[in-house]
Amino acid sequence: MRRTPLTIVLAAATGLALFTGCSQTAPGSESAGAKKPVTFICSPQEDWCQLVAAEFTKASGYPANYVRLSGGEAVARLSATGNTPEFDAWFGGGAEGHLAADAQGLIEPYVSPNADQIADEYKDPKDRWTGVYVGALSFCSNTDVLKEIGAKAPTSWNDLLDPRFKGNIAMAHPGTSGTAYQALWTHVELDNGDQAQALEYFAKLHSNILQYSKSGSAPGQMAGRGEVATGIIFAQDCQKFIKEGFTNLTTTFPKEGEGYEVGAVSLIKNARNPEGAKAFIDWTLTAQAQDLAATVGSYSVPTNPDATITDDMVDLKKLKLVHADIDAAGTARNALTAKFDAEVAPAPKE
Amino acid sequence: MTTTLTPAAGGLLPPAASARISPPKRTRARADRSVIILGSAVALILLLLIGYPVVSLLSAAFAPDGLAVLGRIVTEPANHRIVLNTLVLGLIVGVTGTLIGFLFAYAQTRIQFRGKKLLHLLAMVPIVAPPFAVATAVITLFGRNGAISNGLFGIKGDIYGLPGLVLVLSLSFFPVAYMNFRGMLESLDPSLDEAASSLGANKLRVFFSVTVPMLVPGFAGSFLLLFVESIADLANPLVLGGDYTVLASRAYLAVTGDYNTSAGAAYSLTILLPALLVFLVQRYWVSKRSVVTVTGKPTGHTEQITARSIRIPVLAIVGVISALIITIYLTVLAGGFMKVPGVNNAFTLEHFQFVLTGLGSKAMIDTASLALIAAPIAGVLGMLIAWLVVRKLRRTSGLLDFVGMLGLAVPGTVLGIGYALSYITPTTIFGLQILPALAGGTAAFSGGIAIVMVYITRSLPSGQRAGIAALNQIHPAIEEASTSLGAGSGTTFRTVTLPLIQSALVSGLTYAFARSMTTLSPIVFLTTPGIKIMTSQILAEVDSGRFGNAFAYCTVLIIIVLSLILVLNLLVRKVIFRGRTHRR
Repeated sequence: MRRTPLTIVLAAATGLALFTGCSQTAPGSESAGAKKPVTFICSPQEDWCQLVAAEFTKASGYPANYVRLSGGEAVARLSATGNTPEFDAWFGGGAEGHLAADAQGLIEPYVSPNADQIADEYKDPKDRWTGVYVGALSFCSNTDVLKEIGAKAPTSWNDLLDPRFKGNIAMAHPGTSGTAYQALWTHVELDNGDQAQALEYFAKLHSNILQYSKSGSAPGQMAGRGEVATGIIFAQDCQKFIKEGFTNLTTTFPKEGEGYEVGAVSLIKNARNPEGAKAFIDWTLTAQAQDLAATVGSYSVPTNPDATITDDMVDLKKLKLVHADIDAAGTARNALTAKFDAEVAPAPKE
Repeated sequence: MTTTLTPAAGGLLPPAASARISPPKRTRARADRSVIILGSAVALILLLLIGYPVVSLLSAAFAPDGLAVLGRIVTEPANHRIVLNTLVLGLIVGVTGTLIGFLFAYAQTRIQFRGKKLLHLLAMVPIVAPPFAVATAVITLFGRNGAISNGLFGIKGDIYGLPGLVLVLSLSFFPVAYMNFRGMLESLDPSLDEAASSLGANKLRVFFSVTVPMLVPGFAGSFLLLFVESIADLANPLVLGGDYTVLASRAYLAVTGDYNTSAGAAYSLTILLPALLVFLVQRYWVSKRSVVTVTGKPTGHTEQITARSIRIPVLAIVGVISALIITIYLTVLAGGFMKVPGVNNAFTLEHFQFVLTGLGSKAMIDTASLALIAAPIAGVLGMLIAWLVVRKLRRTSGLLDFVGMLGLAVPGTVLGIGYALSYITPTTIFGLQILPALAGGTAAFSGGIAIVMVYITRSLPSGQRAGIAALNQIHPAIEEASTSLGAGSGTTFRTVTLPLIQSALVSGLTYAFARSMTTLSPIVFLTTPGIKIMTSQILAEVDSGRFGNAFAYCTVLIIIVLSLILVLNLLVRKVIFRGRTHRR
């Protein structure tokens, strides 16, 4: 029988399918002795994740691999698998994401023996997550643009309301970004829990905002490219952009006080390899593991007091941190961001 | 004359009609059986590719959280604005993108000028639009601190919002329209133009009263495709949207910001409604007219237009847009060689070194292999669906056509979640396992099957639309001749129909490959430790502010896609069809 075009195409497709399939099965399952591999969700940047996986394997003998997912993506993916998760642990990303996963019954409480060293404000009282790094909220400003509009780098939340900053400030939308929600919640805490007053501040700030970006660190990039004067982002992100070559950026902090995020690690419920996952969590809390971050240009502050604080990191002791109740902030989140959406963001600019 | 051949427009001939021409009963029975087999196979594939994940989603949308959101979409003014924004964006991009595509194709096939090959290449380049690349380049060029807007003209322009989105989306999506129109214009019968001319009509009149009406299915199909693509696009509204929120970005926010999958599904459901509406309108409108031009009768050569009244305006518009495309893609290319694009423009090779030696090389091989598996399946499946819809099915044709289009209408984020919900765990019916887990790190092939399925789903519709438009141009008598000589429906499809709509198949394949290589949002939910995908690597680089690396990735991606498309084209034209072009 004459081979027809259709069958050739299909045959080629199946051939390719088999070919590539074979080359990709079972990554690293036999490489490191008898220990079962640990698969974890990794929310920080790619090169940090790579390093964490490689160094953990070196330190413990467990083969490790990861998938990089942001907080919301991680929750969505974990809830899709329910009781038969593909992951054992979740490394990084704001603690509120871990709590959102817990609200769906996807997290198993775990107290690591190494958690003793971590300060109380950086771990969950109910043991659902433990902090591995801390990031403080900051103003990331482009000095060239500041000169152009004749303003100084802002050092107070009220400085941002100056009309000279009109259309020259960027922040992420609190509905989409943990960073921006942190800014909103910081105001709630500063106003002693008065949400209406906090929203009032952001309604005023709205006139000066160019764009509410979707991702938390995008305002820093916009400031770096001179699209705006100031972006409201985490200090470690601003420092990272400076190190990446956006040398005209400068970091300042509001004198009233700033919020912070805690990057957390947690154990997934019904993990396929709970021993490996626990060993992983124990390891991430060590000073040695936390020192890795700075080597790949991630300048958040380690939670382990023995870890090195480099010059690129913020000295948390010199800042006026606003301690937020992460549980309460998480519970209030949906209602508050909906209000922000309805009352602040769509308002026409003056 | 050709336009009056069949009143049953769009070639929607009932099987009975073809039976009249081929009296022997045995032949008819065999033909019908192969249609039934092919039809059920296609239906089953579509059920797995689209039906099951979408149903999983719908059940999420009608969960309590989702119902609450659906209620709020109806009642809250903030949500009305989002819906309106989405519709306005879709309509404008649908119109401008279709027009640009048409002008490029018209210039390419009908107007005399030098540099046609270059123009063709330029029109093809934007189909390889890696997420973020075009939007970021546009900001670098036309943003408030842009090289052109501020650097050349000193304007602090505001590109964020609707204007920027229309610019970027029209430029990114018009190549589909271009490919459709080019195929159609090439197979248009020039004797009609000649007849009109010899009756005294001038070129402009011929253009508007003969050429344009014959292309109605092309216009309608392109508009529908562009409309659906632009309302479901996510990456560009994320980067360039500003305060202009659309449903796709709202759905994404619901999932990633509010940790609320049901709400995301509910917002996506709202995207499906306008898509369905436009689909029904275009279907009704197109079916009102017949544009059969390929009748199997010999025809003359297309005359190239030299008249100034058409040549100058068309070439001027095409020239400006080409210049824009060149500038944008040169920015991407140059960005890969700059230390920090836009801030520190010193030359460096670090970025390419990073991409070609690091994780990048595995990502390149993985992504290209998966896309190469998906593209032929999507291309052939698209043609099969087009053939069944136009020629073989009657009552179910609309449904089949729509289900095929759904893969594009569902925003990527949500499609990804639908896949995760459906395929990360084994598929069971009444407790009986019928499929193993297809997605996720624990599945076979490291979850690659689900990624290929998503690629097919996303890229199927463009081939399908191109196929439908092409088949509407071909008179069924050609296929009936084959059937009456005793060939079954399947054989007729392979040996007569497929070569006739070869150009649609090629554009379907090309687009499927490009689309697969650049798909991002659904993949996020399906990536596994064993497979690296280029687009998510690009996203990671953009996230950490390393634009040089991101641009270098994009350049490499564009080169891979363009060279493989070239090979694919040659393969289909020279090897598979062995020069059987059926073109006059």
